[in-house]
Amino acid sequence: MEYKAPLETYSGKVGEVVIGKGEKAIKIGGESVLPFHFFEGTIENRPRIALEVYDTEPEGWAEWVREPYKDVLSDPAGWAKKCLDFGADLVCLRLASTDPAGANAPADKAADMVKQVVSAIKAPVIVCGSGDEAKDVEVLTKVAEVCDGDKLLLGPVVKENYELISKAALDHGHCIIAQTPLDINLEKELNVKLLKSLPLDRIVIDPLSSALGYGMEYSFTIMERTKHIGVMFGDGTMQMPIIADLGGECWKTKQAKESQEQGLLWESVTALSLLLAGANILVLRHPESLKLMREVVDGRI
Amino acid sequence: MVLIGESIHIISKQVSDAVRDQNPKVIQDLAIAQAEAGADYIDLNLGPARKNPEEVTQWLVNTIQEVTDVPLSIDTLNPVAMEAGLKACKKRPLLNSSSGRTDSKDQMLPLAKKYSTDVVISVLTDKGCPPDVDSRTESIMETVAYANELGIPNEDIWVDPIILPVSADQKQVAEAAEFIKILSDLLPGVKSTVGLSNVSNGTPDELRGILNRTYMVMLGRNGLYSAIADVLDKELISLNKGKLPNVVDLIYKTMDGETVDIASLSQKEQDYVKTTKVLMGETLYSHAWLES
Repeated sequence: MEYKAPLETYSGKVGEVVIGKGEKAIKIGGESVLPFHFFEGTIENRPRIALEVYDTEPEGWAEWVREPYKDVLSDPAGWAKKCLDFGADLVCLRLASTDPAGANAPADKAADMVKQVVSAIKAPVIVCGSGDEAKDVEVLTKVAEVCDGDKLLLGPVVKENYELISKAALDHGHCIIAQTPLDINLEKELNVKLLKSLPLDRIVIDPLSSALGYGMEYSFTIMERTKHIGVMFGDGTMQMPIIADLGGECWKTKQAKESQEQGLLWESVTALSLLLAGANILVLRHPESLKLMREVVDGRI
Repeated sequence: MVLIGESIHIISKQVSDAVRDQNPKVIQDLAIAQAEAGADYIDLNLGPARKNPEEVTQWLVNTIQEVTDVPLSIDTLNPVAMEAGLKACKKRPLLNSSSGRTDSKDQMLPLAKKYSTDVVISVLTDKGCPPDVDSRTESIMETVAYANELGIPNEDIWVDPIILPVSADQKQVAEAAEFIKILSDLLPGVKSTVGLSNVSNGTPDELRGILNRTYMVMLGRNGLYSAIADVLDKELISLNKGKLPNVVDLIYKTMDGETVDIASLSQKEQDYVKTTKVLMGETLYSHAWLES
């Protein structure tokens, strides 16, 4: 008797999101099967990998995380270029300086700096505010305006501040990161609200990524369920690509601060797990983890 | 469906203040309002009733019986308060509730026999709430057998499958509905009841009603005998009296997987269809389930 593989057919498809303009543009999402299910369909866009860039010299990093970037730690544009030299598909620029609890840099200054970085590199840019709900509205709407048409990925956008930021993203041609705190019902709620003003192909889901040993299984489950609900059950409010922003979470663990080897393993194992759960973009911190993940995702696609 | 009015609940500040101050007016007003709304029973939820359980319970029962002759459901985990309440009731009360927990079998079920009451038996066990239909079945068969041995007949038993909030554990909502469906085959003659409003616990207040009402209709179709519910919700009462047949029909069609032309429906009808799908577990719950 001839063997017939038991293949699933799926009713949904993840939306395709384009980040960056012109030659810089990359596509994420677009798959109509579960992660790495090559045997059931095509996965047109491989997962993409970003490295982090900070707008001010970071504090509290272990020497083995600082080392690869030691010449550029106070030069965001130079740092961003270095990330691409290391093989990143895109960079994740963190506007730590705008934090009201820190330097509290004004929005227009931050926006000018973003524009410099965007102009300096041949890759798309993710721009993350400080995480202060109120200040991020000022900063991200200003960035959206100054970088009109650059197709940035702006975040984090949360339930408390989505309205103005998503409007600015729509008006100036950017995409946004919809962030919710490890809760699939809240994730869906924010998606529903966002979809009233933004098309699906402008939204990326961030369910929050916890590090291995520090709650990673929660992130894994939520990413996995998001794909099940979106792709298997065809829920149109759950079909956005997912970003796994995990580098910072991994390198602040005790294990990563104890030794470089442990840190690299921590970041890589967390990244690999979340890829399997369905992440479409990884945000990593160390170039060696990037290399390892590159081998994984480029092996097939 | 037999409705048990839930409004006299010790968690309500108005009620707990009235109990503390022995202020009959507040309690009597709530009792009258529920009786007039059509409650078949009035639930008296005393919580753990730690302070003067006998005195407080008797005062409450007598205060209510002064203004209405609707039978009472005595709702407490404290067996001393329970016994005092049952003793004071003029009409045959409902003991609400017992369960498969050891302390409940030892202290509550014998009271149901002693006072010849109707008795709610929930599927809870010493291990907590059973997670699926099979484990609910296992728990209830065991506890009902125990009650039968004590001399309580199936006809006096109201089985409670334990309703969990859809916002916390969506799968459990469908499991409880499925359990209600098979209950009459499992234990012929038993009745059933649920804490209906629990399904919407954690949902924003203004959206709770439609979850409660839709679930009532769904469970009713599966054979549910009674519900502890918000009888002051007028639409819930109308539905229960069969005054909204189009809504009931839509909920049934949705349960059966029939294609419903959403665009042709009124806003309210659309909301009922969406809510049914959420409670069936067909679409993922979010607080914005009516908006998509």
